[in-house]
Amino acid sequence: MPTVLHQALLIAAKDTRIFFKDRFAVGFSFLFPFLFVIGFTLALSGQGPDDSPLTITVSSQEETEAGETLMAGMIAESPLTIRQLDYDEALAQVESGDLDGFVSFPVGFTQALTEGRPATLEVVTGGGSAESAAALRSFADHVAGELAAVQNTYSALSLLGEAGQADLDAIDWSAALGSRDYAIRFEVETVGEVGPFNASNFTLPGYLTMFVFFAAAMSAEAIARERQTNTLERLMSNGTRREAIVLGKFIGASYRGVAQLAVMWTVGIVAFDIDLGASPAAVIVISALMVLASSAFGLLLASLVSSVRAAATAGVLASLTLAPLGGCWWPLFITPQWMQSLAKITPHGWANTGFNKLMLFGAEFGDVTQEMAALLLFGVAFLAFALWRFRLTAS
Amino acid sequence: MTAAQDFLTASSLHKAFDGAQAVDGVSFTIRQGEIFGLLGPNGAGKTTTIRMLSTVLQADAGDVTIGGFSVGRQGDEVRRLIGVCPQELALYPELSASDNMIFFGRMAGLSGREAKAAARQNLETVGLADRAKDKVDKFSGGMKRRVNIAIALMNRPRMLFLDEPTVGIDPQSRNHIFETVESLRDGGMTVLYTTHYMEEADRLCDRIGIMDHGRLISLGAPRELKARIGDPDQVTLESVFLDLTGRSLRD
Repeated sequence: MPTVLHQALLIAAKDTRIFFKDRFAVGFSFLFPFLFVIGFTLALSGQGPDDSPLTITVSSQEETEAGETLMAGMIAESPLTIRQLDYDEALAQVESGDLDGFVSFPVGFTQALTEGRPATLEVVTGGGSAESAAALRSFADHVAGELAAVQNTYSALSLLGEAGQADLDAIDWSAALGSRDYAIRFEVETVGEVGPFNASNFTLPGYLTMFVFFAAAMSAEAIARERQTNTLERLMSNGTRREAIVLGKFIGASYRGVAQLAVMWTVGIVAFDIDLGASPAAVIVISALMVLASSAFGLLLASLVSSVRAAATAGVLASLTLAPLGGCWWPLFITPQWMQSLAKITPHGWANTGFNKLMLFGAEFGDVTQEMAALLLFGVAFLAFALWRFRLTAS
Repeated sequence: MTAAQDFLTASSLHKAFDGAQAVDGVSFTIRQGEIFGLLGPNGAGKTTTIRMLSTVLQADAGDVTIGGFSVGRQGDEVRRLIGVCPQELALYPELSASDNMIFFGRMAGLSGREAKAAARQNLETVGLADRAKDKVDKFSGGMKRRVNIAIALMNRPRMLFLDEPTVGIDPQSRNHIFETVESLRDGGMTVLYTTHYMEEADRLCDRIGIMDHGRLISLGAPRELKARIGDPDQVTLESVFLDLTGRSLRD
């Protein structure tokens, strides 16, 4: 009689062959995940840090030289991007929704300023973004504050009789506006070339984890079907050991999982430009341990169910429950603490935490040994249970 | 007949499931080179008996020897001597007939080359050599049944267990299976055959055991069994069966 390992490898090879003859199973395991990855990557692209400067639209209704000088000073000295528009055009854009709002300098603004009279700065906002409206108000406050300081200085000098009648054109507006720091400063430090945020770095590992476990869960259905058709019992009467059958099913599921890994990581790197982080070796080890845990999970499910229908239902339910719980659909680190704690009861959670640490937060191999140990523990526990409870017959 | 010619000996076999006695003290022998029919209504205990004889199920009590080896203590040796064709189509429809047979042959310990040769030969035996490369999924019910039998022959067994091998197939396929079984017997193979078709048992079997409620209630050659209730040339095996097991429905 062949050894247990030899029999197990023959079973694994046969199962793998059957799997690759099933177009639906292949499509589901290898192509379907990419639909999710593409969809969610597109949905999440554009999120995250954006270092483009804030643009403020301003409009001056003054036609005096002082007004033009004031505007030129703002545009030249402001750390923000100032865009100047004609008042009517700006108003039309706000009304049409193309512009969230703008700051307007009305007729006589600079005149009132130099004469020490109250001057009105107009902030026009539409019904759009609340953030844009707040930014405009903040900008207007700042301008008003700066100009009030200039006005006070000018008034003081006038009272002292040193300036006499003011010459509006003599005031250096650009210096007045630009010589002092803004109350709130934005400092953007760019180290090296910073590319746009790549959502695939967490969508791909998440859906890889989900579909590796999903495919393994589907293997429970195949095992239940073999029980029903008595092929497992036939193998027994043929001299095949029970352990060889369990091990063969485990190895077969692992082959398929490794194939999924190879395809998804390769396509991920080539087509989605994913970054495996500082330790690609750790990503590979986590992936391999995740496959072992998923293969054992499939056997565990097969050990718990007694019919093909029950296996199919349990497989889908388990996959669709554990995937979101384990952070396959969204990064765990954005979820509340209680969800992060709950994720630890799933192998998915440990796998995704490991992938996120490595691919998003620059972790090294040594930083994810806990995740590796947890996945190994899940795999061993599932396999031990399967060896204990695995049945070869439906009855 | 001497005891030395008995290839299988079952002694006081017992098996219970959840307190219900499925097999209750069954004893019989099967001689080398004979086709032994095991008949009985549904739930009589035929399949449970076959599962115990073929090492898949452990008996609660009693013992079986096949070819001189104890099923309970020398399972590996027994498995080398037997081929089992279960009632279900226990094969992989996604694979070709040839691949199915090679797989089961290799699991039984044949090398790749031996398994290929045995697959060719056995497909020839069941008349499917020209369909060797076709997927079993595309086969008719009768062809699948023949592949099911051919797989049981892969380890060149000396004894074949056929559990209702002709269920749900057309007369041509059934006849082909009869011819196959007879040619195997003529080649010296011992066969245990279960069926619900009495004319089938009458044609094929050298001796017949009738089971009911887990017990073996009658045993003998078809003509002997018929003679117990009348003229063996007039009485059918079905009459004997109904006389012994009653006419009440069992399902």
